[in-house]
Amino acid sequence: MSSSEKRLPPGTTESNARLHKWLQRGLFVCLTALALEGTFTFPGLMVWYGFPDLSLVEMCSELSKVRYSDDSRECIFPHPLFAPSEAAGQKTSQDKWGVQPKPQYKRIGFRELVKIRDERLARQAAAKQAQASERR
Amino acid sequence: MSTASFELDVPSAYDDHQSASREAQRKADRWMLPGAILMTTAVLGPIGFPLFLKGMAEQRKALLQGLAVRPMICTLLGYLVIMDSGLNSIGWSLDLIAHHSLISRTLVTAWGNMFDSGYFWHYNELWIGGATAPGEKGWEIALVPTVFCMRLAAAIGFLQMKRWGHQWLIVTCWFGVIYWVGYVANMTVFADLRYAHVVFPVWGWWLYDIFYITPFLAIPYLHTVNREIFSD
Repeated sequence: MSSSEKRLPPGTTESNARLHKWLQRGLFVCLTALALEGTFTFPGLMVWYGFPDLSLVEMCSELSKVRYSDDSRECIFPHPLFAPSEAAGQKTSQDKWGVQPKPQYKRIGFRELVKIRDERLARQAAAKQAQASERR
Repeated sequence: MSTASFELDVPSAYDDHQSASREAQRKADRWMLPGAILMTTAVLGPIGFPLFLKGMAEQRKALLQGLAVRPMICTLLGYLVIMDSGLNSIGWSLDLIAHHSLISRTLVTAWGNMFDSGYFWHYNELWIGGATAPGEKGWEIALVPTVFCMRLAAAIGFLQMKRWGHQWLIVTCWFGVIYWVGYVANMTVFADLRYAHVVFPVWGWWLYDIFYITPFLAIPYLHTVNREIFSD
């Protein structure tokens, strides 16, 4: 047995030592990356989609308004246990149907949900004001 | 040293070494196992990761002391398979069973909007709820209760250096190759839907998911390792 073979971990022969060394490095990179992804995915998503300006329920409502192209959609939380799926039978979503469906909603940029919500609320307030002044 | 004392001392030294090795391995696993389990929950990863690193340091210390503990590559492989299976299971179980919880409706769909529209488009419209991407529910039902459960069990056996753990890790890692190829083919065929208007399209999905390639790293090792290190 050569001296270099003596230093090899159990189960690794000299002919596979290089392969095992690189596999070990790859495994460590994957493990670290999965740990970091697991840690930062949900907080990162929350920041991108508007937290803390939007609560989780508001974020849920805004996402479903975009998804179903319907400003009247609200997330009911908690969803009743034996109720049908929340979007079952909806008719508002915009898709280009063909051999493959293509969604028509727009890409949501960094914290754009907050802007979309603010603009909608401003629009609704202005419409209400206009209605009130018409009545006068 | 007389012959009599030689016969008495050698087994004792061997037994001492064995019990010190077993204790060192147990000590390292006592840190690594809770660390890995916490990391599989995703959000508790910041607590789990340092615990896991502490366990790895204990394992390295034992190796440097010449104790007969598990090789480092087996440790990394076993725990990575636990994490891979755990993270996949938690994400897909949320979508399959808890699709109307707030976390699914908000953060799973947000993830879908960012990387894979299959988890955003018409979400919670099917009677079964959750993702509506063609084929996705089939993958979830096929993989969570079968492949990922088997992979978890195999990884535990593998970490115990059992022969069945090694054998079942080979079987389930080849399952892993099948689901990688099948899943990527499915996503590619329905790319118009899955990557339409997402924040980070194809490259983003690959960057996020490439670290789940555990089977491709495990298979070359499992087929080239000297199997005599695993016992019945």
